[in-house]
Amino acid sequence: MTRLREALKDLAEEAPPVSLVDAAIAGHRRRRRTRLAVTAVVTAAALMATTAGATVFWPRGGQVATPQREGTVPDLPDGKVGAIGYAYQTPCYVSADRQVIDCRRVAWQVVTRTGTTYRVPQALVTTSKGNDIPVAVSRDGRMLAYYSRAAQAHVVRDLVSGQETTSPVAVKEDQIKMGNQLVVSDDGRYVAFDPHVNHKEPGLLIDMRTGKAVSIPREYEPISIKDGVVELVRYVKTDLWLMPVTGGGKPVRFEGAYINFSELAPDGRTVVASYFKDLQAGTPMLSLLDTKTGRTLRKVPVRGLPKRSGIFRTSVWQSPSEVVVLSMAGKNNSTYLVNVNTGKARHLADYPHHLKTRLILPGAAGGK
Amino acid sequence: MDRHDGFREFVLARQQALMRTAYLLAGDAHLAEDLLQSVLTKVVGHWSKLSRDGNPEAYTRKALVNQYISWRRRPSPEWPSADPPEYGASHDEATLDRIVLRQALAKLTRKQRAVIVLRFWEDLTEAQTADALGCSIGNVKSQTHHALARLRELAPELTDLRIQEVAR
Repeated sequence: MTRLREALKDLAEEAPPVSLVDAAIAGHRRRRRTRLAVTAVVTAAALMATTAGATVFWPRGGQVATPQREGTVPDLPDGKVGAIGYAYQTPCYVSADRQVIDCRRVAWQVVTRTGTTYRVPQALVTTSKGNDIPVAVSRDGRMLAYYSRAAQAHVVRDLVSGQETTSPVAVKEDQIKMGNQLVVSDDGRYVAFDPHVNHKEPGLLIDMRTGKAVSIPREYEPISIKDGVVELVRYVKTDLWLMPVTGGGKPVRFEGAYINFSELAPDGRTVVASYFKDLQAGTPMLSLLDTKTGRTLRKVPVRGLPKRSGIFRTSVWQSPSEVVVLSMAGKNNSTYLVNVNTGKARHLADYPHHLKTRLILPGAAGGK
Repeated sequence: MDRHDGFREFVLARQQALMRTAYLLAGDAHLAEDLLQSVLTKVVGHWSKLSRDGNPEAYTRKALVNQYISWRRRPSPEWPSADPPEYGASHDEATLDRIVLRQALAKLTRKQRAVIVLRFWEDLTEAQTADALGCSIGNVKSQTHHALARLRELAPELTDLRIQEVAR
């Protein structure tokens, strides 16, 4: 056996022991139940429509398929709740001996800025085919966008006023594929939805008020919606397109591969991103890019992050010189405010480690 | 007798081996577990057909590799340090090989990484690898060649591997 095979064997031995039988069967049953429930609802609705000529009805929320109402966390009440700090998807329950794994109670939850946690059972977590569905939180934490099975459409909830708006654009659950993405504007009027990132299905920018939808070319992923402009990125050649919500505009190309784009800075022309090679090298570095010319303005080594950590995401700007980044160091996820002039990072908040890939921060695209 | 008994038996017998493959592909224990669990969830649904006239392990491995490759581009949670430990008395050679290999694998493309895992860990032939990846043998040869060239470039400590690229 070659040294490569030996090294692969040694590395593979690091894989922790797992017990996945029950989790897999539970997941399968959950998907099957969901599928059956959807079929039943569709059949009932069709029967009602055809036999009685009555208004087609839908049951409320995703409760039909997700019988997980018990628990200590209350459901999101109607009315005013207050802005939220973040949203997250709860993990499956795993017993201490790892013999029992229960994914039936998985749900989206939101944490308000005052620290109260609510379950959002009306926000569908997975499609009947098992594809994860994200939620999105506006930059100021006021708007929560999610997909509702009952409405077969996206819903935006204003958590400060309590008002709820259902998108006039119907999106069938089957249209939502693996790797879908969602972004909501600060005023909740616009929702950008990509049903299948980088695949043939184009994305949609939905005007929640008029029902008008602007198509987003399939190669582009929505990053943010800010001040009437949707930031779209195409990763193959790394093109960035600041598209007005009414459509139009044209992309600019950056030299090299970039990932982890922030929203547009307050100057209206700069974004930060991670140069892919810096990311691969494990160097905590941000690149400032000019969205008018496509030039790299400068690269800023980030100081003050924990040892052996990296920048996992960049998101909103809190001042003309400070951008929020999410960093991961081992099992810790934390946000930092990075000064793009000095590179100095200031710790903002910590998040439980199990939220690693299921944490939705304000202003960031859900599903990213 | 539960209708999932056959599936249970299969998973209990093979989950650790599949987890090792998932770990080599994903490079992170949590992601590997997510990857394997999502694949097994789909396998349960096809179990009666697979157990009757299929090869469940080959199907699961194929699904595992393809699900891994089709994951969207996203930052890897692997954060390879820029400076791997120096070879020296304080570390045994195998440990250093492992560290260097982990860092090198993190810099391969997903398909290159999958090819390395299938060819040199799973020990599949080129034809079997092509079948698992759903591509041509020529494509497997090309991916293997580029992956090994990249590994040699990234991990000069391992260049004395004398890897046999002979087709099997």
